[in-house]
Formats: sequence, C-alpha cells, structure tokens
Amino acid sequence: MRLVQTLIVVLISVIMKLDSRMFGRLNFERPLLTCTLCGLLLGNIQVGLAVGATMELATLGMMSIGASGIDMNMGSLVGCAICIMTGADIETALTVAVPMTLLNTLLDTVASVIRIQFTHMCDDAVDAGDFAKAKRVDIVYGPVLYVLFTIIPVFLSVYFGADVVQSIASAVPSWVTSGVSLGANIIAFYGFAMLLSTMVNRNTVVYFFAGFLLAAYSGLGLTAIALIGIVLAVILYSVKYIGNKSAVPAAASESFLDELEDLDN
Amino acid sequence: MSKKGLELQNNTPLNKKLKEIFWGAWCMQTNWNYERQMNTAYMYAMSHTIDRLYPEPDEVDKKKEAYHRHLEFFNITPQCAALTLGISTAMEEEYAADPENFDPGVINSVKVALMGPLSGIGDSLFQGTIRIIAMSIGISLAQQGNILGPILAALISIFTSAPITWYLGKLGYTRGQEFVRQMSESNLMEKVMFVCSIAGLFVIGGMSASLSNLTTPLAFGESFILQNVIDGILPKAIPLGMTWLMYYIIKSGKIKPMAVIVGCFIAGIILNYFGILAA
Repeated sequence: MRLVQTLIVVLISVIMKLDSRMFGRLNFERPLLTCTLCGLLLGNIQVGLAVGATMELATLGMMSIGASGIDMNMGSLVGCAICIMTGADIETALTVAVPMTLLNTLLDTVASVIRIQFTHMCDDAVDAGDFAKAKRVDIVYGPVLYVLFTIIPVFLSVYFGADVVQSIASAVPSWVTSGVSLGANIIAFYGFAMLLSTMVNRNTVVYFFAGFLLAAYSGLGLTAIALIGIVLAVILYSVKYIGNKSAVPAAASESFLDELEDLDN
Repeated sequence: MSKKGLELQNNTPLNKKLKEIFWGAWCMQTNWNYERQMNTAYMYAMSHTIDRLYPEPDEVDKKKEAYHRHLEFFNITPQCAALTLGISTAMEEEYAADPENFDPGVINSVKVALMGPLSGIGDSLFQGTIRIIAMSIGISLAQQGNILGPILAALISIFTSAPITWYLGKLGYTRGQEFVRQMSESNLMEKVMFVCSIAGLFVIGGMSASLSNLTTPLAFGESFILQNVIDGILPKAIPLGMTWLMYYIIKSGKIKPMAVIVGCFIAGIILNYFGILAA
C-alpha cells in the first residue's frame, strides 16, 4: 500500500517537473494543483486542498524566473503526501517542505553542472554533424535529468520519510505547531511583498492600496477583487491611450465654436 | 544554393510550422543551464526548419552554421519565445533564399534585442498577473474546501498561455520584423506593462487583505482589546504592516530568502508563545 501511494506521488512529481520544462509553465507545478491532485489520488481531497492552499499562499510570491528564487514545489508535494499518509496536521506539510526545499536547492546545483556538460555535448554533436544527437541531448537528456533529480528524492522521502515524520510530529508540543502555523501565515506576506517589489513604484503604489482598502473594508472575495482590478486596468488604459482619440471631436466642436464666433463678428 | 531545401520549406503547411514553433516555445526550458540558459532548446525548436532548408549532403556546413547560430545564449519567458522563434524562422528562410545579400548575424541580433523587453512583458504578464489572478482565485476557493478552486486556476492558466503562445508564433512568422518595428513605435510594451501593473497590484493589494490573516490577542484588562480598536480604524492593518515590513526587508537585500523563511517560523513560534500575534 505504501509503495503504491509513493509511486502515485512520484508520478505527480513527474508532471510537476515537466510543467515548466515542456509545457511552458502552465502552473501545474504549483502546490495548489499538485497537492490537490495528490489529495484526489490518495483519497483525501480535503487535506489535499487545505495543504495546497496553505503552501500556495506561502510560496505565491516566490517566482521561479530563471535560476533565482526558491523552488518549494517539490517540498510542498512531499509534505502534502506525508500529511495524507500519516494523518498528521497540515502544519506538518510546512515543516517537511522547508528541509526538502534546501535539499532540492542542493541537488539542483549538481544537476546544473551536468546541464552545462549537456550544452557542450550539443556543441560537439553539431560539430561532428550528428544533428540527431544534438536534438536528443536537448529534448530527451535534459528532461530526463530533471525528472531523475526529482523522482529519486521524492520517492525516498515519501517512502521512508513518513515514519520519521510521524514519530517527530507526535513528539512536538502544540505551542510549536501553532507557532509554525503562524509562521506560515507570516511567510505569505513575504511572498506578497516579493510580488510587490517586482511591480511597484511611486506612481503605481496607489493601485496596491486601492485593492487593499476595497478588500479590507468590504470583505469582498478575491474573485471579485480580480475582476474589478481587470476592469479598472482597462478603464485607465482607455483613459490614458484611447482618450486622445475622443479629444478629436472636442477639438472639432471647439473649432465649431470658433466658427460661430467668426459668424458673430 | 539549394533550390530543394527552399521548396521543401515552402511546401510545408503553415500550421505545421506554427505547431513546431508552439511546442518549441513551450519546451524552452528543457536544458536550462548557467552558461547559455535556453540555448539548446532554441536550437531544437529551430532544427525542424533548418533540417528542411539544408537537406543535401553538400550543405552540411551551412546546416552546422545554422545550428550553432541558435546555440548562442538565449533567455526569455517561454510563451514569448514563440514570437522570436517565428521571426527567426522567417529570417532563416530569407537567408536561405538569398545568402549573398542577407547577413546571418542579423538573425541573432534580432533575438538578442527582443529577449530583454519580451521577458519583461512576459514575466509581468504570466508570472506577475495571470498566475497571481488564477492562484488567488484558486486559493480563496480551496480554503473553503472547494475543488473548483484548483480547477479554475488550471483552466485560467491554460486558456491564456496556449492561445497567446500560438498567436505570438503566428505574428512573429507572418509579420516578423515589421511587427517588431510597430511594437517599438506604438509603445506596445509600455501599454502592456501599464495594464499588467494596475491589475496585478490591485490583486496583490486584495491578497494582502484577504488571503492570509494576522491578528493580535493583546488586551489590557477586559475593556481594551487592541484588535477591536484596529478593526474600528483600519481592518487588516496588521497584514498591511507586515506586507510593507517584508517589502523593506526585500528592498534592503541584506537577508537571504531562505533565512527569511526560517526566520518567519522562528518569529511565528515566539510571537505565538507570548501571545503577541495569532493567525
């Protein structure tokens, strides 16, 4: 049973990894989707949704552009799987995710050295006129390397980690667990601030406050906020860029007034 | 000079080329590396066209040159790669048709010139706006235990990414450099950034107020409950303060991300223990 469950998680981790590699980053790597899928397939959809929402919230701002940023996707999935398999609290997912993320960063450093070798293999293959090999290096070796560096740690940590986590989790006092839960909420704000820092400037900070105040005072849900935000953006766009065209009739009417004045004279 | 190669390329249906561009763009990160980033993926995406353009054994040097041309440094938002791939495909065809008068160096300089601005647009559109909107809607529903949340998030992601990638590829291939010229003349980039930053920031503001909550259990006696006072003035003032505190931590650039995350947990345990903050 444990083996079957672990293999299901490994399968999800393959989708997670290939999302950004071969599907142009469709967000299937994000905790909200991987954890939900994990919950669905392991038979506890509610825990999957709860862990997915919590982890997504904590990592929403951590954009993985190029090599920068922290990739907590693998840690989130493993944390979620262990939560479901051991019946531990949702906070457990977070405490599993953090060390997994460190491990992931470490492993990716090793993989990145190999990927540079792949680039040179590609160069050499082209020089030798072996074009099929050059293509194979990119479209087969690359993704396979990424997948291997994901499924091995995922398999080991889910298969053997569940017991370890269970014994630790039962020994941790509740004030620590609720503290970790508070910490997760604080991390979410780190994520929001990260997003903010990439987009905000003196002229645009007012839109942040507009969204904040509307949500804070009205209690509207985020679907409503998102739609209002899009409408607001479109309105301001037309005011700024299309507004010039509507100035034409105004100018025309002015000249019409001029003509009237001329007639008076 | 190969008539056969050009014929082969010209007889390839437009949709087939666009499909190659589409998948080439989505597979942009198959072998991301620190040395030249997305170079091998760009070569792979262009390889279909190059293979068709230089089919004869005596053209193998031309073919090698073309492969090497697309093994240069490249980095872009994957979806936006469709535009440069389209342009590169059209330019490779032009070069193959008229190798005497067409400088192949231009093919790369167009790529290089486009990747900065396109990544700017692409990251703020896909990572900064679409992802944020999709995920914040998804999270708010998932928090209520509604599976529609993740499903909606997935649908929003697919039905923006796929058509945009397809359309950019088509635009790049059919309108090519003319489009690039228009793009810089009409301030397209500025306009996209303008819309994205308003919608994105509006949602980030809403997120700070509603996705995650922080309250304070602090009270002095039974009459003075701090949280009630805060709610009377500006509800969610603590989340707002926390967002900007984090903003200044990021702007100062002194603390590494991993240290901030671990620090958050430690702060969470301490603040929770002394009853200063609660989730």
